[in-house]
Amino acid sequence: MTHAIEVKDLHKSFGALGVLKGVSLNVDEGEVITVIGPSGSGKSTLARCIARLERIDSGEIYVYGHRMDAEKMSNAKESELLGMIFQQFNLFPHLSVLENVAMAPMKVRGKSRAEAENTARELLERVGLGDKIEAFPAQLSGGQQQRVAIARALAMDPKVMLFDEPTSALDPELVGDVLNVIADLARSGMTMMIITHEMLFAKEVSDRVIFMADGHIVEQGAPDDIFGRPQKERTRAFLQRVLSHYGAAVSEEAR
Amino acid sequence: MELDFSVLVPYMHMFWKGVCVTIQASFLGVLFGSALGIFIGSFRVMPFKPLRYLMAAYIYVLRGTPLMIQLFLIYFGLPALGVNLDAATAGILGIGINSSGYVGEIVRGGIEGVSKGQWEAAKMLGLSYWQTMKSIILPQAIRHMLPAIGNEFVTLIKESSLLSVLAISDLTMVGQQVRSVTYASFETFIFVAVVYLALTSVTSGALQLLENRWKVK
Repeated sequence: MTHAIEVKDLHKSFGALGVLKGVSLNVDEGEVITVIGPSGSGKSTLARCIARLERIDSGEIYVYGHRMDAEKMSNAKESELLGMIFQQFNLFPHLSVLENVAMAPMKVRGKSRAEAENTARELLERVGLGDKIEAFPAQLSGGQQQRVAIARALAMDPKVMLFDEPTSALDPELVGDVLNVIADLARSGMTMMIITHEMLFAKEVSDRVIFMADGHIVEQGAPDDIFGRPQKERTRAFLQRVLSHYGAAVSEEAR
Repeated sequence: MELDFSVLVPYMHMFWKGVCVTIQASFLGVLFGSALGIFIGSFRVMPFKPLRYLMAAYIYVLRGTPLMIQLFLIYFGLPALGVNLDAATAGILGIGINSSGYVGEIVRGGIEGVSKGQWEAAKMLGLSYWQTMKSIILPQAIRHMLPAIGNEFVTLIKESSLLSVLAISDLTMVGQQVRSVTYASFETFIFVAVVYLALTSVTSGALQLLENRWKVK
């Protein structure tokens, strides 16, 4: 069976700095995987390579059998396969919330305005922003903006959603709403790859957790195994350092 | 020496015509220059390199040579290639082309001022390069660009005085005509200067208003 995402021996460096040093990975349809690891481990770059936002040095990347790094593919075609959520939201500041969500379905898929706006309203309702459709991005909190970005990506109905540190730019009190929306999406059966620093969240929503460090996948497995019984010293050290911030309840489980 | 501006009164209808020509020429010039400049600036940031270098060369030449020489080339030079333009067309074309080089650079700056994340988000939503440019990047860039394009318009109002070398009856040309019959050189050109100042002030003010309105959103 074709994997949703298949990455083979991916190498990527920025100048002399090696960021991905032979990463291989499969994601199956309906699977939710989270990628955790220290800053600079290459996890964001991995997502950006899959999304063709970075040129790769060597290796192969397939999304539903399409060779992403070599096939000549229009952005329109790619949007059927992949949706992406960015750390900085990247909403279009000159467009209203509704227009942000409805624009691409009209321009790329040729949907009528009425149809696109209806879908947009439903999606905005779903992310809890049904009352903000007329607002402009600058009038929203970071958490609201990120939820609009999620609705915007969903409006294109992609097969896979990539989340590149979706809550890293948010104030702590706004993180929860965004994570709830992502968790709902995960439960709905969407195929997702989530780059995150939110360990509790990763533990809760993932089918599989991938730990990356120094451009390699160090360890991967079920959340209970990675967080409960990490096999590699590197993973243990990282989790210990990160989870110490979460307080007793979490470190209890991590032990 | 005593200044007597009353000698200019009988020629007011001429000055008025000259003002109209100046406004028309600089407005059409900036319009044509901006339209062209938006393409030049957009090409200038394109991933396709040959076009990018070609546009860089275009801008380099236009900014590095005098407007007057450019006007001469169009009006006196082009007929050698069988292209005969009347003075007004040649003048507006010259001003517009000259302006497109400057506007092109303004546009490039404006486009580069829009964050890279906007391109990336648009790409992931399936928008093509030109769809992104037209619907996402330029609308944002234009807001950054507006003050600079306004300055360009003000500059053109002044530089359009060079049209008088093509014997176009703009404000400057009218001034020369009035001076030659009244011999009131000082009065005439003080008056002409004041009219130019009024034109540029009104333009600057209007653009300022427009800019403030756009900032609200």
